[in-house]
Amino acid sequence: MIHARRLTKTYADLRRGKFVAIDGVSFDAEPGQVYGLLGPNGAGKTTVLRILSTVLRPTEGTATVNGRDVVLEPEQVRRQIGFMSANTAVYDRMTAWEMVEYFGRLYGLADDALHARMEEIFTRLKMNDIRNRLGGKMSTGMKQKVSIARAIVHDPPVIIFDEATAGLDVLVARSLLQAVAELRDQGKCVIFSTHIMREAEKLCDRIAIMHRGTILAEGTLAELRARHREHDLEELFFQLISEHDARVPVLADE
Amino acid sequence: MRGCPCWRTNDRVGFDLSADGLALVFFAGTISFRIAPMSWHNVKLIFFREVRDQLRDRRTLFMIAVLPLLLYPLLGMSFFQLSQFLHKNASHILVLAQGALPDAPALIEGQHFSPALFDTDDGRNLLEVQVLQFADRSKESRDLSAEEYAQQAVRLKVYDAVVLFPPDFVEKLARRRTNAGTEEQDKVPFPDIIHNSAQEKSQFAYIRVNEVMNRWMDLIGKESLERQHVSPESIRPFQIHSTDVADEGHKDAAIWSKILPFVLMIWALTGAFYPAVDLCAGEKERGTLETLLSSPARRSEIVCGKLLTVMTFSMATSLLNLTFMAVTGLFIIQQVGSAAHGALSLGPPPITSALWMLVALVPISAFFSALCLAVAAFARSTKEGQYYLMPLILIIMPLMVLPMTPGVELDLGKSLIPVTGVVLLLRAALEGNSVQAIPFIAPVTIVTLIACWLAIRWAVDQFNKESVLFREGERLDVGMWLRRLVRDREDTPSPAEAIFCGIMILTIKFILDLRFSAVQTGVLTFDTFTVMVLVLQLTAILTPALLMAVMLTGRPDRTLLLKWPRWLSLPAVVVLAVALNPLLGLLQKVVVALYPVTMLPELEQLTKAISSGTVWQGILLIAVVPAICEELAFRGFILSGLRRTGGKWRAIILTAIFFGVTHSIVQQSLLATLTGCVIGYIAIQTGSIVPCMLFHFTNNALTVALSSTTVDWNSISATASAWHCGWLATFAQEGWGLLFQIDKQGESEYTLIAQILGAVVAAALLYWLSRQRYVHTKEETHRETVRDLAAAEART
Repeated sequence: MIHARRLTKTYADLRRGKFVAIDGVSFDAEPGQVYGLLGPNGAGKTTVLRILSTVLRPTEGTATVNGRDVVLEPEQVRRQIGFMSANTAVYDRMTAWEMVEYFGRLYGLADDALHARMEEIFTRLKMNDIRNRLGGKMSTGMKQKVSIARAIVHDPPVIIFDEATAGLDVLVARSLLQAVAELRDQGKCVIFSTHIMREAEKLCDRIAIMHRGTILAEGTLAELRARHREHDLEELFFQLISEHDARVPVLADE
Repeated sequence: MRGCPCWRTNDRVGFDLSADGLALVFFAGTISFRIAPMSWHNVKLIFFREVRDQLRDRRTLFMIAVLPLLLYPLLGMSFFQLSQFLHKNASHILVLAQGALPDAPALIEGQHFSPALFDTDDGRNLLEVQVLQFADRSKESRDLSAEEYAQQAVRLKVYDAVVLFPPDFVEKLARRRTNAGTEEQDKVPFPDIIHNSAQEKSQFAYIRVNEVMNRWMDLIGKESLERQHVSPESIRPFQIHSTDVADEGHKDAAIWSKILPFVLMIWALTGAFYPAVDLCAGEKERGTLETLLSSPARRSEIVCGKLLTVMTFSMATSLLNLTFMAVTGLFIIQQVGSAAHGALSLGPPPITSALWMLVALVPISAFFSALCLAVAAFARSTKEGQYYLMPLILIIMPLMVLPMTPGVELDLGKSLIPVTGVVLLLRAALEGNSVQAIPFIAPVTIVTLIACWLAIRWAVDQFNKESVLFREGERLDVGMWLRRLVRDREDTPSPAEAIFCGIMILTIKFILDLRFSAVQTGVLTFDTFTVMVLVLQLTAILTPALLMAVMLTGRPDRTLLLKWPRWLSLPAVVVLAVALNPLLGLLQKVVVALYPVTMLPELEQLTKAISSGTVWQGILLIAVVPAICEELAFRGFILSGLRRTGGKWRAIILTAIFFGVTHSIVQQSLLATLTGCVIGYIAIQTGSIVPCMLFHFTNNALTVALSSTTVDWNSISATASAWHCGWLATFAQEGWGLLFQIDKQGESEYTLIAQILGAVVAAALLYWLSRQRYVHTKEETHRETVRDLAAAEART
């Protein structure tokens, strides 16, 4: 479903010269699977996902989503995905209903089908009481629900969650994780990035551990545990990262 | 495609503009600009959302609707208040006498000047007069002379003005009036009005007193004449009467036609700016931009939707402001007019003017909106966005003010200047000169459309740039930045470096030009000219380009196109330059007809200086040196950098514009820009700088040769026959007659045959060039692949 091949993204950066945000990232994610990108802040997760959502263009490498190339056919790719991140906010001066309706129409849904779909989503996500509330007057949890509804309104085969639980309280985070699991059960290909071990452990079918722009290890949770002889994901994570930092010395000015 | 029912509902793609819709075709189809494919369905969606969003924003509503509603009545009110305030201020005048003051005719009566010197009592009351004999001055100022005393009184603001009468004024005046003294020493000494022009109040007092004194003098003259039984009318035996044939409506129109276009434009710009900032920088700030970017809407659709929104608000602001201003203005004019007994009567603007303004508002709003959008897209936050308003206004303002300058009329030259053309056309329409304006509608429309299109392209480009959309705050450290430039240099320069190089060249050249005109006095000699050309070419043009190529690029050879081309291209470009010469000559005539040369004396001096050297010296200076220096800079560094924007033609045209602007005479710049396009094309198609230099050389050398009288086909034919080359002699003579004719000024010019022949040969050679395989940059390849894929997608 998603095939990323040697994705590289470099930025010109005053301080660090040519800053490599991600360096040769390759992975494959399949339908009916939650693919987890696990890594500390600044590991390059957001950059990878922004490339998949075609908001950024890779410096090198390619990625295809459902057979479409992210560089050459960005519009087609965007129709295949629902993208939700900590950076995709909701409009302050639009109600929940208007917001989801607007994006549904941008995805080209006909009004009848769209409204039926929206009723279904609003009921499933228990959003009927905030239908006519303006985005500016919503709590973080409400906004998050609107964002999910917005991302899945066109029933995309691929859904990308980038640090979606950041800043949420336990209850809201939990219901979001439930929503993600449901999407997987519907056969969607879900990509889920986080820096929280427990979420990855609970939810992800495959995990890629990212650090400093590269994938250090990749596999199912069981495979990772077996390969590195460490049951606890958090310990495993630290072990990988410290091994990597020992191999590649940290630049002096960082 | 499992689990994706939306696909079937998705075939509503709207119509595709790229296929054959809006394609502006330049240069006989060689360059075609196209607007990216887009779905109007999405544009409409985005447009309606943005409009609703703006209308829900209290600030926007306040700016466009409430503010003008309140602003103009308030302004009108304060105008009334202020004008009352101004009128009631009386000036305090001191009349400082040294001896007696003349009593007939009377100058002073009580605390004021004599009523005979005023038309109305109001005027008289505005001047409060105090008379002081210099002898009666206070003890502290005993040491001062009369002049010093008067000056101090004004400086210390005790009085607004002082009228100082000289000591023997009365006696001398009396003698002069009886014709007793006609000698030089009997001349009446002049009274002095001492005032301070740096102070407004004193200046006012001066103007008022001066008028009173003049009237008084006239009265004295009149009385003198009457005493001698001469009719005072003999001094002014008749009066001059003037008749104004303009009817009331046109007189009003003349005033309105100056004010309204300006107001319209200013508000169109302001009305576009604030929504644009909110729509771009505001969305970035609130984090909703990424949401929108990850939706299927194309960047071009997003820009178009936002552009239409900004345009709507720009037009609404402009119209609302005009309406409210007109209502308030008319009210004030009525009030003031009735008070001044119709002295300042101004009727309402003709009703047709509203229609004309609506027509003009649409393209102008579109242009301003696109500009604002591009600028606003660059800003990280609304706060940063607001900072860009001032520079934007500073750039656009001259274009709006130029048409308001007295004496500037609509002509073809000015109609080709963006914004200015529209304002002038609108003015002509408002003045009721629609018929005279008709021929200029086409050029103004074309120029405005091109300007709009370029601005829109700029906005779309801004939205396509990651560095613009995800700009992050970074601490600026100049040293670090310079080191980075050198450290991370790539094979060829970046577009930004190329543009910087162009601006550098222009700046250095500007400074050098200023220096030269300051240093150079008297006649321009050939030596000075030589120094000027060499210094300009070497320091202003060659040095920046070479330095930057060496320091900022990894492969200076590739940047400067230092490569040997296919040998066939060399004769090809020489022939091309020769073939294009007649056409350029024709174009030059057209350009000079459009924009008459104003710098004739300077040009003549230049021509004289050049012709004082030999032809070979002239060719070396005007053809060889610039061909090498300018080509390395423009087709070398700048074009290589600009090509990395991905658009081959965009790079060629931008480079050519830089090249054109480097030529200091406007008329020359236009031609140079066109020639620059051809050379740029040669550079890309051959991949080498050598043909560019050769073309440039041939072109300039021809100009020198043709302008100097030394090259003469007749003399060549004579030489040829002397060498016993009969055929060459015949050819030279025949060829001369076929290709050249003598124009009215006695200079040789190309015949029509030469021009047609040249066009055919040039077209063939350009076709040959277009068949050459050229090396694409990475960015160009990418753009072409995307376009091909999109076309394939559209077909299926």
